[in-house]
Amino acid sequence: MSAITEDGAAPGASREAARAGAPAARRTRWWVRLRRDRSLLIMTAPAVLLLAVFTYVPIAGNVSAFQSYDIYQGFRGSAWVGLTNFVNLFGDRIFWHAFENTLVISAVQLILYFPIPIVLALLLNSVLNSRVRSFVQAVVYLPHFFSWVLVVTIFQEMLGGAGVLNTILRRHGLGVWNVMTDPTTFKYLVTAQAVWKEAGWGIIVFLAALAAVDQSLYEAAAADGANRWRRLWHITLPGMRGVIVLMLVLRLGNALTVGFEQMLVQRQAVGRDASEVLDTFSYYYGVAANNFSYGAAAGLFKGVLSLILVLAANRLAHAFGEDGLYRR
Amino acid sequence: MPPEASPSLPHGLSRRGLLSAAAVAVGATVASPLLSACSGKKSGGPGTTSKSDVDRALPAYLANNSVNADVPSVTGVNGAISDPCFLSYPTSPVTTVSGLVGSGGSYTTMTPLWGAIPASSGNAYYATVNKAIGATLKLQPSDGNTYGDALPPVFAANKLPDWIMIPGWLNVQLNLGEAMTTQFADLTPYLAGDKAKQYPNLANVPPAAWAAGVWDGKLYGIPSYPSAAVFNGAYFYRKDLLDSAGVSVTGFKSADDLAGLGKELTNAKGGVWAFDDLFGQSAAYVSQLFQFPNHWGIDGSGKLIYKYETEGIVEALNWYVKLVKAGYVHPDAIANNNQNAKQRFWSGKVLIQVDGTGAWDGLDAQSGVAANPGYVRQALPLLSPDGAKPPTIELGNGAAMFSYLNKKLSAAQIKECLAIANYLAAPYGSAEWLKVNFGDEGVDYTMKDGNPVLNAQGNKEVATTFQFLACPPAATVPKNGFTQVAKDYAAWQGDAVKHAVKPLFFDMNIAEPSQYSAINKPVDDTIDDVRFGRKPISAFTDAVDTWRKQGGDALRTFYDGIRSKYGTGQ
Repeated sequence: MSAITEDGAAPGASREAARAGAPAARRTRWWVRLRRDRSLLIMTAPAVLLLAVFTYVPIAGNVSAFQSYDIYQGFRGSAWVGLTNFVNLFGDRIFWHAFENTLVISAVQLILYFPIPIVLALLLNSVLNSRVRSFVQAVVYLPHFFSWVLVVTIFQEMLGGAGVLNTILRRHGLGVWNVMTDPTTFKYLVTAQAVWKEAGWGIIVFLAALAAVDQSLYEAAAADGANRWRRLWHITLPGMRGVIVLMLVLRLGNALTVGFEQMLVQRQAVGRDASEVLDTFSYYYGVAANNFSYGAAAGLFKGVLSLILVLAANRLAHAFGEDGLYRR
Repeated sequence: MPPEASPSLPHGLSRRGLLSAAAVAVGATVASPLLSACSGKKSGGPGTTSKSDVDRALPAYLANNSVNADVPSVTGVNGAISDPCFLSYPTSPVTTVSGLVGSGGSYTTMTPLWGAIPASSGNAYYATVNKAIGATLKLQPSDGNTYGDALPPVFAANKLPDWIMIPGWLNVQLNLGEAMTTQFADLTPYLAGDKAKQYPNLANVPPAAWAAGVWDGKLYGIPSYPSAAVFNGAYFYRKDLLDSAGVSVTGFKSADDLAGLGKELTNAKGGVWAFDDLFGQSAAYVSQLFQFPNHWGIDGSGKLIYKYETEGIVEALNWYVKLVKAGYVHPDAIANNNQNAKQRFWSGKVLIQVDGTGAWDGLDAQSGVAANPGYVRQALPLLSPDGAKPPTIELGNGAAMFSYLNKKLSAAQIKECLAIANYLAAPYGSAEWLKVNFGDEGVDYTMKDGNPVLNAQGNKEVATTFQFLACPPAATVPKNGFTQVAKDYAAWQGDAVKHAVKPLFFDMNIAEPSQYSAINKPVDDTIDDVRFGRKPISAFTDAVDTWRKQGGDALRTFYDGIRSKYGTGQ
């Protein structure tokens, strides 16, 4: 257990103690703080560098959304077209359909996926045998490291028309269940794939939160005659609330990102109508059609909406008295 | 080793079919990968060239027939000529290049590779070829499947290497017509007419291959895998398994003859289906069966029509959806799991498939025999929609891929690169060919039954790299000792050339207005919806109506202009 909690640095409860000293630190001079924190700063430097190179610098590329970007002219030589790309985008039926698909799949994932790592973490936390627990953890973490191509292939081998399940059904004359090529149930299929692949990985942060709950509270409650459910309801869940809200805020900020590769790989199996999302739209109508500006406009639209979502969710978290992304 | 990694690319053109299959697998092509003819940016800028101007830019043709083919080329119709087939390598290969080749220059290159990318450092194969050409070509192959995505940043960052290969099917996506004058060296002053005679191996490349490297009246591209028998694909069957099932395809004439095998060969309970995907992305393969063009064509009244507007594609959709609904098509093919199509065929889970012609060689036979000792791949006879009309097969450009030299190179450097290209283009049967394709005997290959075969080191080091920069005319040769496969392939090609038809705008580079680059995608998506039975055929006709309004009709006007000004290339 211990190794895992250290990996998933627990936000929320465990940070409280560390933060208590913050106001005093603010008064010390910056170079004193610099020297005191230098090892921490050095440790974060690579991450900051990666973030700068691969996240912040590319943001500047959004100017192409206002250009008619031409790979042979570059950013400097391409003509400025103002809001033309956005006007075209907002008049594009296919774009709005992709937007709708994104929201629907995201909503389904929020309802069906989000609670699962929490429940898994609670279950796992109640397993006392540490060997069993480590084994289960290792097994449920593993799919996180598979690529989407592999995950979809495994699903195809299991549930596809020529897969294990349908072969058995067919041999027993029970017909076939074409879940891999059925557009109407596609949103549940992709959610199931996401659960299989990521839910195990998602429990890390919740396990960390669970480890931070004060054990003496359980002992006191047990002494007072509280049963398992009452302890879960009055101690465990309140103890995890900060983390759950934080994860929810982050999830909402990512609501418009529902998996590019996963959709790309399965697009032809269920058709565009079921599988086109904002990211694949940007790819097919921007990158693949050599219409980078159009794709950039769609991406910028998505980015701005995501920012609004995350800020709104954060405000909601504050309204409920939680930290959210940062403390007010 | 995947077939693409082969050093001795067999039937050059066939490779294009292979590649188009790869493109289908990743779903990354905007339009059909076969739309290699046109490109350009803005409203029909530079690009197109009239026939007489093309002729002025072309190198003189000096055929080299020093090695006699075991199965000679068959001259078919409409300029199609099958590749010569050689069953064993000459015991004393001739030398075609004398004296110094390069003058010690060093050049960066960029080529795609479909297969495992070999290590560059300590690569004895790279080193021995570089030594032979007297210069250093720095080889850095990129993944072929994502090559189209890797190129735009290279152009945008102005990081173009000295020598680069760009497959023709990326021309539209890259607006390559715009790049020609600004990025690449004009080779006309070095190669046009008799000037090519100082590079005899380049002069041995037929004019039809060079023609597709001409943009705006000037020669830019050096052909890779030139052939006068470029066909995008063939319908294949497992001869061994059909024989044991007592099924014969002899005398097959129509698409319905093929469909008729569905019921007989499908045994879903046993995990065997008659067909894999028979359609291709954007109908690229099925157009052969139903005889509609892969791009623009002319209807009975002389009007230009796009493939979407033909009766043939509607027939094809109706024909295919019946096979899908009847359950004769492997479910993984319906789920677009195309990267495993070859494995399904090798293991006998499907008995009939369509693939690029490059799928049919000794490397395929080796993989097939590994899965199934009796494995035999054979092509079906060419078919027509009703069996009454004679079958046809569309001829591709004289070369599907071209390499280009950077405009920044000096005249002396361009001459050095062309001398190197002349070495790389040494024909089959020469000492140079052996060096370029196999490295050194005893190091990377050994001679076995009269043919070079890569050894363990060769399998790690040798990959199709230099060949993408310059190449002799394609030849059919045995690989891994499968002589019969080479003979069968040569026989099929010898028949196919007799049915070849030239598509509209054959061998012409056309700068298509770029604002219409995305209009095909919604139609192609709808084609998938209809052929897999998710939507009725009316959805397709609706999508085509929208396509016309969004730019299809405008493109027709554009191509009408090209037709009246420059002709049809046929």
